[in-house]
Amino acid sequence: MHDSVLGSRLLSLHGLLRRYALCELDMKKISWILLAKEIEHTTTNGGVFGLVFGNENSSSEDSYVERLLDRISNGKLAEDRRNAITELQAIVSESQAAQLAFGAMGFPVLLSVLREERDDVEMVRGALETLVSALTSISHAKVSSNEVQSALMNTDLLSREAESISLLLSLLTEDDFYVRYYTLQLLTALLTNSPQRILESRIAKFHFRLQEAILTIPRGITRLMDMLMDREVIRNEALLLLTHLTREAEEIQKIVVFEGAFEKIFGIIKEEGVSDGGVVVQHMAAVGHESGNVVDAGEGQFIHRVVLEDCLELLNNLLRSNASNQVLLRETIGLDSLISILKLRGSGYTFTQQKGGSDTDPGKDLNKQTNKKTLIQKKVLDHLLMISVESQWAPVAVRCAALRCIGDLIAGDSKNCDVLSSKFLGEEPQVEPALNSILRIILRTSSMQEFIAADFVFKSFCEKNVDGQSMLASTLIPQPFCMNDAPLEEDVNMSFGSMLLHGLTLGENDGDLEVCGRAASVLSHVLKNNLHSKERLLKFSLVLRIEIEAPVPSIGSPEPLMHRMVKYLALASSMKSKDGKSRSSGNSYIQENILKLLITWLADCPDAVHCFLDAHPHITYLLELVSNLSETVCVRGLAAVVLGECVIYNKLTDSATDAFAIVDMTSKKIGLGSYFLKIEEMQKSLVFANLESSLNRKSFTRSSAASMEDIADSDINDLSEQKNMNHTILSSILDSYFVNLVKGLESDIREQIVEVFSHPKMKVAAVPAELEQKIGENDLEYTKRLKAFLEKQCSEIQDLLSRNATLAEDLATKGGGGNFQLEQRVSESSDKVQINALSRDLQEATKRLEILKAEKAEAESDTRKYRSLAEKMEADLRSLSDAYNSLEQSNIELEKQVHSMKNGGPSTFLDVDAIKSEAREEAQKENESELNDLLVCLGQEQSKVDKLSARLLELGEDVDKLLEGVGDDVGNVEDEEEDTE
Amino acid sequence: MSYAYLFKYIIIGDTGVGKSCLLLQFTDKRFQPVHDLTIGVEFGARMITIDNKPIKLQIWDTAGQESFRSITRSYYRGAAGALLVYDITRRETFNHLASWLEDARQHANANMTIMLIGNKCDLAHRRAVSTEEGEQFAKEHGLIFMEASAKTAQNVEEAFIKTAATIYKKIQDGVFDVSNESYGIKVGYGGIPGPSGGRDGPSASAGGCCS
Repeated sequence: MHDSVLGSRLLSLHGLLRRYALCELDMKKISWILLAKEIEHTTTNGGVFGLVFGNENSSSEDSYVERLLDRISNGKLAEDRRNAITELQAIVSESQAAQLAFGAMGFPVLLSVLREERDDVEMVRGALETLVSALTSISHAKVSSNEVQSALMNTDLLSREAESISLLLSLLTEDDFYVRYYTLQLLTALLTNSPQRILESRIAKFHFRLQEAILTIPRGITRLMDMLMDREVIRNEALLLLTHLTREAEEIQKIVVFEGAFEKIFGIIKEEGVSDGGVVVQHMAAVGHESGNVVDAGEGQFIHRVVLEDCLELLNNLLRSNASNQVLLRETIGLDSLISILKLRGSGYTFTQQKGGSDTDPGKDLNKQTNKKTLIQKKVLDHLLMISVESQWAPVAVRCAALRCIGDLIAGDSKNCDVLSSKFLGEEPQVEPALNSILRIILRTSSMQEFIAADFVFKSFCEKNVDGQSMLASTLIPQPFCMNDAPLEEDVNMSFGSMLLHGLTLGENDGDLEVCGRAASVLSHVLKNNLHSKERLLKFSLVLRIEIEAPVPSIGSPEPLMHRMVKYLALASSMKSKDGKSRSSGNSYIQENILKLLITWLADCPDAVHCFLDAHPHITYLLELVSNLSETVCVRGLAAVVLGECVIYNKLTDSATDAFAIVDMTSKKIGLGSYFLKIEEMQKSLVFANLESSLNRKSFTRSSAASMEDIADSDINDLSEQKNMNHTILSSILDSYFVNLVKGLESDIREQIVEVFSHPKMKVAAVPAELEQKIGENDLEYTKRLKAFLEKQCSEIQDLLSRNATLAEDLATKGGGGNFQLEQRVSESSDKVQINALSRDLQEATKRLEILKAEKAEAESDTRKYRSLAEKMEADLRSLSDAYNSLEQSNIELEKQVHSMKNGGPSTFLDVDAIKSEAREEAQKENESELNDLLVCLGQEQSKVDKLSARLLELGEDVDKLLEGVGDDVGNVEDEEEDTE
Repeated sequence: MSYAYLFKYIIIGDTGVGKSCLLLQFTDKRFQPVHDLTIGVEFGARMITIDNKPIKLQIWDTAGQESFRSITRSYYRGAAGALLVYDITRRETFNHLASWLEDARQHANANMTIMLIGNKCDLAHRRAVSTEEGEQFAKEHGLIFMEASAKTAQNVEEAFIKTAATIYKKIQDGVFDVSNESYGIKVGYGGIPGPSGGRDGPSASAGGCCS
C-alpha cells in the first residue's frame, strides 16, 4: 500500500519534471535526484533494471532488441513475454541505440499488443511504458548534435502508424490507472517532442496532423476532457496534454470549452490556489540548483504551482484569438472568475488578461469592446493597478504584464481612458492620480521592460484621446518653487506635468539623461497629433526659462524646453561615444526617445520648427548626427527625419534657416542621396523590429514569461537573447503609430525637397522689360546696369551648376550602390526636377515647332515651284541632250563616213586626178589650140602692124610715139577685140 | 449570472437552412439576410425562465457542410438538446433529416431532446414541404415539431423555450442524473431567480409554451 502511494507521488513528480524540460529550464539536477529515486523505486518493486546494456555497441543492441520483440510476439508463456517487455522497456529507456533499434521494428509488435491483448493489463502497461520510453530522449546521455535524434524519429514513426491515435484514445477508458497514465504521457510526447530541435515547419505540420487526427475521432476530445475529472496525477497529465493540444487549434479549443473546460479549469485553480502559499515559482530553477532537500521540502507546493501554471496556460490558449470562447466565458461564467485569479498571488497569472488585447481580428472589434467594457465594469483596473503599481512583492514580469494589460484595456476606448484617469491610488492623505503613479514608474524603474510596459499605458491613453492629452498637457505648468532637490518618490502633491518636467530636466548625468529620455517618450505621446498641446508647450517653455535658468546658470539667455532637449540629445550621444562599448550593452535609448519627441513635436507644427531653428547650431548638429557613422542606424535615420521636418514645416522665408537653405546645406554636407539612404536604412530596420515584436507577442507563453523574468531579475549573458530584447525594446519605443508617422514624413520630405529644388529661389529676376534701355538713361549707365545684371546672373548660374554637379554626383554614387529601388526613387525625384525644365523646354519647342511648320509650308511651296521648274529644265535638258545625242550620232556617223571615206579615198582621188589631168589635158589642149589660134591671130596682127608701121614709117610718122598709148589700149583693144571676137 | 440549470444545445441540419439565423434571432433579436457560412462551430448564449427558474442556454451553432461533420460530431454527446433544422422551401433538406437523426442517435446521449424545426415558414409561396409531412416525420421519430421563421421571429423563442421546457420536465421526472455533466445539464448555484446580468433576455413562463 505504501509502495503505491510512493509510486503515484513519484509519478506526478516525474511528470512535472518533463514539463519543466519543456519549459527549457535547466532541471538536470532535479532530474538526477528523481532518477535516483526512480531507480530505488523500481528496484524495490523487484523489476529488472537493464543497466547492463548501457554501453553496448549498436549491433548487439539491434539483435537484443530483436530477440526481445520476438519473445513478445511469439512467446508462449505469458510470464516470459512480460519479462521480455520489461527488459525491452529498460533497455529502450537507457540506450539511444536501443531506441533506434526499437523504432526500426518494434512499433507494429507493441501496437498489436495494445490492440489485441487488452485483457492482459500488465502487458498493455509494459507496452505503453516502453513506447513512452522510446519517445523520450535520453537527457543525461551526451547526445552530439549530428547524431540522429532517436526519440524524435520514433515519434514520427509512431504517428505514422495507422489508427495509432484512435487506439491510444480508446485506451483512456481502461480501468487501470497506469494504462491511462502512460497513454496520456504517450500522447503528450507525440504532441510535444522538441519542436525547437528539428525543422519548425515539419513539426508544425506534424503537430497539426495529430490535432486533426484527434478531431476526427468522435468523442476523442471528450475522453481527454474526462481525464480532467480523474485522479490528480492523471488530471495533471491531461491538463498538460490539453495545453499542447489547444495551441493554435481553434476547433479543438471550442470543443474543449464545450466540454466544460472553463468550469473545470477554474475548479482546479480554486482547489490548487488555496494551498498555494505564495511560493514564487520562477525561483524553482534556482531551487533546483541548490539541493535535493529543497525539492523535497517544496514538493507539494511545487506541484500546485506547476498545475496552476498549466491551468492558466490552457485558459490562455482557449481565450487567445477565440471570440466564440470569449463570448462563452463572458456570457455564462462571467469574467469574475478571471479577475478572482488576479487576486491570487503569483507569476504568470496576469497573462490570461491578454485576451482583450490579443484579439486583433477587426471583425471581432465589437467583441473586443464588450470584453473591455465588461472587464472595466468588474473593476479589473483596480486589481491591475494594485499589482502593477502598489505591490512591491510582485515580480517585474507580473507588474509589466499588468501594465500592458491596462494599456490594452484603455486602447481606443475613451470611456476606459476616462476611468483610468479618474482613478486615484494610495491612502489619504497620500492620494495621487493613478497616471501619476505610472509616470513615476516610468521615471524611476530600473527595468527597461517595466518602462516599456508603463510607457505603453500612456501610449494607449493618448492615442485618439485628445481630451486626455489636453488634460495631461494642461498640468504642464512650472511649479512656483524649484524642485530639483525634492525627492521624486515621496511627493504625491506633484502634478503630472511638473513631475514630467522634472524628469525632462533632471540633469546631465547618465542616469538623469535616461530619465529624461523616458520622460521625452511620455511627452511625445502627449503631443502626438495634438497641435494645441504642441503650441502650448512652445509658449510655455518661455515661461519655464526662469525655472530652468536656476540650475544652469551658465546659460545666460532664456532657454526653451525644446532647446534643452536638443542639448540633452547631444550630451547623450557624446556620452555614448565616450563610454564606447560599455554603454552599448545597457542601451537605454535616450537618443531615440528624444528624437522621437522632436519628431512628434515638429510634425505639422511650423512654430515648433521655428523654435527649433532659432538656435543655429541645431541644424549643424543634426547634420553631424545624420552622418555620424558611430551612431546607430536608427538614430541617424531619426535625425534625418527631424531634418526633413525642418524642411517640410518650414514657413520661414529669406533667412539663413529657410527650407531652401537647409536643403542646400544637407545636399552639400551629406548629399541628398545618402541623406535619403539614412531614412531608408532606418525604415528597413524598423520594419524588421516590428515583425520581431509581433512574433514575440504571439508566442507569449510560459517559457517567454520565464525568460522575461530572467532578463528582469538577473543578467543575461546570452548575446542573441539580448539582441532580441533590444529589438523588442526598440519596436515598442518606435510603435506602429510612430513608424507610420515617419513613413508619411519620408514621402513628404522627398516631395518637399524636390519642390525646393525645382523652384530655386532666384536672386535675379529676369524681366525682359528691364533689360531695355530706360528713357533718359544714357548708354554708359545702361551698359553698366546690364553688366551688373549679367554678373549676378553669371554667379547664379555658377551656383546652380555646382548644385547640379552635387546632385549628379549623388545620383552617380547611388547608381553604383546597386539598390534598384533606391535608384528608381532617386531618379524619380531627379525626374521631377527635370520635369519642370522639360515642360518649359516643351513649350518653347512647340512654339518653335509652329514657326518651323510655317517655314516648312513655305519651303514646301517653294519646293513645289522649284520642282516644276526643275522638271521643265529637265525636259529641256533632255531634249538638249537628245539633240546633242543626235548630233553626236550624226557626228559619229560623219566621222564614220570620214573614216570610210578616208579608207575609200585613194581610188576616187585617182579618178579625180585622172579626171583632173584629163580635164587639165583637155583644157590645155583647148587652151593650146586657142593659144595657137591666138598666136596665129597675133602673128597676123604683128605682120599687119609691121606692115602698117613700115608704112607709117614711110609716111613719116613716129610710129613708137603713136604706139605709146596703144600699149594699154592694146589690152583694151585686145579685150575689145576679144569681146568683139 | 446565477441560474438554476444550464442546458447545452446544439443546432444541426443541412447547410443554408438558417441555423445561424435562428440563433442570432434568439440571442440578439435580429435578422441578417446575408449570413457568412459558419466555419466549424459558433457559440451563443441566453437566459430564459421556465417555471420561474432562471435557465441558462448555451447554444452551439454548427456548420452544416459535410466537411465539418467530424468536428461537429464532437458536440453531440455533451448536448442536452438539439434543434434539427430543415428548410421548408428546399425538399432535399427535409430528405436529409434521417441521416442527421442517425448521426445524432449514434453520437449523442439517448436522452437528448430533439426539436425538429421547419425554418423559413414566411416563404409560404415557395413551400416544398408541407406542415403535415413535418409533423408526420416528427411523430415517427419521437421529436417535437415546429415551423418557424428566423426572419419574422415567428416561433423562434418558442422553439428554444419549448425544448428547454421538455428538458426541464425530464429532469423533474428523474430521467437525468443531473450531477453527471456529460448530459449537457448543469445545476446552477442558485435556484432562486436573483439579480441577473444585464444582457439576459426576457423571460417566458413555462406555462405559456409547455402545455
